[in-house]
Amino acid sequence: MTQVNIGLRVNGKKVNETIESRQSLADFLRETLLLTGTHLGCEHGVCGACTVWINGAPSRSCITLAASCDDAEVISIEGFKDDPQMEKLRSAFISEHALQCGYCTPGMLITAYDIVHRLPDADDNRLRLELAGNLCRCTGYKGIVCALRRVLGPPSENG
Amino acid sequence: MANTGIGAAVARKEDGRFLHGRGQFVGDIKLAGMLDAAFVRSPVAHGRIVSIDVPEQFHEAVFTAKDLTGLKTIRANSGLKGFKSSEQPPLASNKVRLVGELLAVCVGGNRALAEDVVDEVFANIEELEPVTDMLSARAPDVPLVHEEWGDNVFLETNVDTGVEAALASAPVKISRRLRMSRQCMAPLEGRGVVAEWNHRTQQLVVHTATQIPHIVRTGLAECLGLDESAVRVTAPDVGGGFGYKAILLPEELVVCWLAIHLHRPVRWLEDRREALTASANAREHYYDITLCADEEGKFLALDAKVTVDAGAYSSYPFTACLEATQVASILPGPYNFPAYRCQTWSVATNKCPILPYRGVARAGVCYALESMVDLVARKINKEPHDVRLENLITPEQMPFDNIVNKHFDSGDYPECLKRAAAAIDVEGVRKRQVLGEPDGRLVGLGMGIFNEQAAHGTAVYSAWGIPMIPGYEQAFVRFTPDGGLEVRVGIQCHGQGSETTLAQVAHEILGLDIESIKIVHGDTELSPYSTGTWGSRVMVMSGGAVATACEKLCERIQLIGAHLLQAELEDTQVEDGYVKAPSGQISLIDVARTWYHRPQDLPADVDRQGLEVTAGYKLRRDDGTFSYAAHAAVLAVDPHFGTVEIIKYVVVEDGGVLINPMIVDGQILGGAAQGIGTALYEEMPFDENGQPLFSTLADYVLPGATEVPNIHIEHMETPSPYSLFGQKGIGEGGAIGSVAAVTNAVNDALCRVGAEVCETPMTPRRILTAIQDAKSQRESVGT
Ligand code: FES
Ligand code: FES
Repeated sequence: MTQVNIGLRVNGKKVNETIESRQSLADFLRETLLLTGTHLGCEHGVCGACTVWINGAPSRSCITLAASCDDAEVISIEGFKDDPQMEKLRSAFISEHALQCGYCTPGMLITAYDIVHRLPDADDNRLRLELAGNLCRCTGYKGIVCALRRVLGPPSENG
Repeated sequence: MANTGIGAAVARKEDGRFLHGRGQFVGDIKLAGMLDAAFVRSPVAHGRIVSIDVPEQFHEAVFTAKDLTGLKTIRANSGLKGFKSSEQPPLASNKVRLVGELLAVCVGGNRALAEDVVDEVFANIEELEPVTDMLSARAPDVPLVHEEWGDNVFLETNVDTGVEAALASAPVKISRRLRMSRQCMAPLEGRGVVAEWNHRTQQLVVHTATQIPHIVRTGLAECLGLDESAVRVTAPDVGGGFGYKAILLPEELVVCWLAIHLHRPVRWLEDRREALTASANAREHYYDITLCADEEGKFLALDAKVTVDAGAYSSYPFTACLEATQVASILPGPYNFPAYRCQTWSVATNKCPILPYRGVARAGVCYALESMVDLVARKINKEPHDVRLENLITPEQMPFDNIVNKHFDSGDYPECLKRAAAAIDVEGVRKRQVLGEPDGRLVGLGMGIFNEQAAHGTAVYSAWGIPMIPGYEQAFVRFTPDGGLEVRVGIQCHGQGSETTLAQVAHEILGLDIESIKIVHGDTELSPYSTGTWGSRVMVMSGGAVATACEKLCERIQLIGAHLLQAELEDTQVEDGYVKAPSGQISLIDVARTWYHRPQDLPADVDRQGLEVTAGYKLRRDDGTFSYAAHAAVLAVDPHFGTVEIIKYVVVEDGGVLINPMIVDGQILGGAAQGIGTALYEEMPFDENGQPLFSTLADYVLPGATEVPNIHIEHMETPSPYSLFGQKGIGEGGAIGSVAAVTNAVNDALCRVGAEVCETPMTPRRILTAIQDAKSQRESVGT
């Protein structure tokens, strides 16, 4: 099996590892670094459960090779521990009952984090469109949309 | 103190860990020395195994049926007369009966390495002609899934109250053939198991993603030939169930066998392809159905022949027949029917077994019956909801024993329907339909009303023949020395919020802060036996058990408290964490400390069983509770693309007394999203060779945030007379009425161009075909 060395920052810490070149970032996080907050729902890029933050954007860690993350800045759900915006999202998720089994939740939060930064004026239709890459089998999405709405405030007139 | 008892929309105690990525799912468990397992699966649907070739260098890493000594096959026998038994082998040794059946297991240091070994194993299989269509499966001279049976029918059932007269003379008689496709339940987390042999406790410890840990333990012990006490099953956090995780898996058996024989922990994590193609599916019903009515739309009779494609094996514990037997017992729905006949067949085919998916047979039944109601309404030119009102059981009739002796406990079904009609604005939609849409889309309105039997018990399940019949549900409660409360229950919570709602129940009785109440579940070692979480039973059954145990505990606390306060027992009460008497009060912590650490202060007649109680609970009637709801949808069908957009969606639901309204709404919303999937998107098709055609979530379409509308919910609260607080089970209803509401709305839109779809999901292709067929028919009539 081809091995490669990678050096990257994960949740703010420098990490150097020798890995199999075929290993996905999700497996690297979960199995090598034991960061199990990143979940796997499909392992083929559809469900969004594995969404992590790579170099400032949400990305699917199941179809990202760890080897391609050399020098990257990766943040998984564990890395957002004290982030004030994420804290707001978390409490909105609680108030709006935006999670049931909690399996989609880490990926959902990271996508939501991206939405509140990128689209502060989004209306509900836009929120739904932006959430379309993250599947949730439990909630029917209403709570998730409401949680985002709670954080963003009422949609602006010309939103 | 803010109310955190029954009826309060308390925030969930379990949310914190998930929001920080600290949930603990099976896939998160890593044990020292753990191996990963991967399975070699059958590439064909039906065949005879000639050989399984394993290259020399992999002999140590590959195990086939002949290696698995001492393992029994999985048998889930229905108690119903005429049932034919199937034996599901942990690894196939002779015949394969479905694509994906297990042939061999490979182990490696991680999943990828185990899968590398899978690629090296070659299965030489002589193909047999498969049975892939449940209707032709009953024809003479077809291949047999289980040769020894002589046919392909697990079970045939009949109910007949005499319908011939109505069939002969009814002024309105509508017949249809309706199909509900095979589906995958698709919780976001797949199944998974980690097993190890613990030498200290001499136990097999199995961490598995299950809804039914105690039942899995019973099944594992039986098949592995171990004492039950030598098996501990724990379900950690489980990422959704919906029925998919209420099964004893052959994979579980194999992984346990490996852990015992390799003396190392072994893990298997199902991938999405396995989940979609090789594990259990759900539904696949076919209805040949006739509804008779008079000119006013009053129902005269219902007659149906129903076939369910149960796949190759009867799965443990729910059997291959629960689905079809349930159809026969619930098809009359919430209506008055003077006559009813239903014949059912649970048919074996070369496909995965089926499991009861959220709503079980009800989603199909409600779809079929409510489709027929709309057709009758169309025929006699009435609003469908008026026809429903004409036939619904009225509150004056409650409690009501229907034509098949279902005992409906309570409620006002007509009021529920009227509220839904008002909320969806039937008149407004009808006007809009007359005006037409500027973009040429066809607007449709649909409704579905149903009742949902939940928490039903002994008598009901023995009639359905399953081998695992629920009786008394138990809870164990223990008051700890620091005045906290441990509550241990045998159910398993995988999203329903039971860690919160059961604490609310305990709080209601004892008045303790819910933060100091800890719910322990999902572990056979730590909880009383339970059939687990399914059938919308937890809030009623486990809730009842927790309350009963807390009441007993309360009596003991009160006795000690009265003694310490030097008060008469009848002058004291337990409230807000205190035993209170006119002379003063004493905190429950003091009572606890007295029992544990200052026994010299206890009364002489103290209950010697102390501050631990196990109590059992059963409903006042085995029939369970009947929640009910009306779903109503308005949608627009694009006649050029066949796509559907849901414009408005309302649910009026009566779940009796709601323990936590926020969580109830969550159940309805999530269920409705799944029902929308059933109605419009989700299907697992097979080709004529029995090959499953979808293997990714890109083919098997789950509804996303753009497909599920913003659903509006209204509540009615008619308490159940039979449950402890008047609560009713509501966990599945969302997935039931939604299918009917959406499919009826599609057909309401399509009837404007003379088209009709008789199959779920109503995909663009099916909608366009229906429109095209209607057009061709008009043209051929025209010429
Ligand atoms: S697990 Fe990565 S998208 Fe589904
Ligand atoms: S909360 Fe279960 S998948 Fe979203």
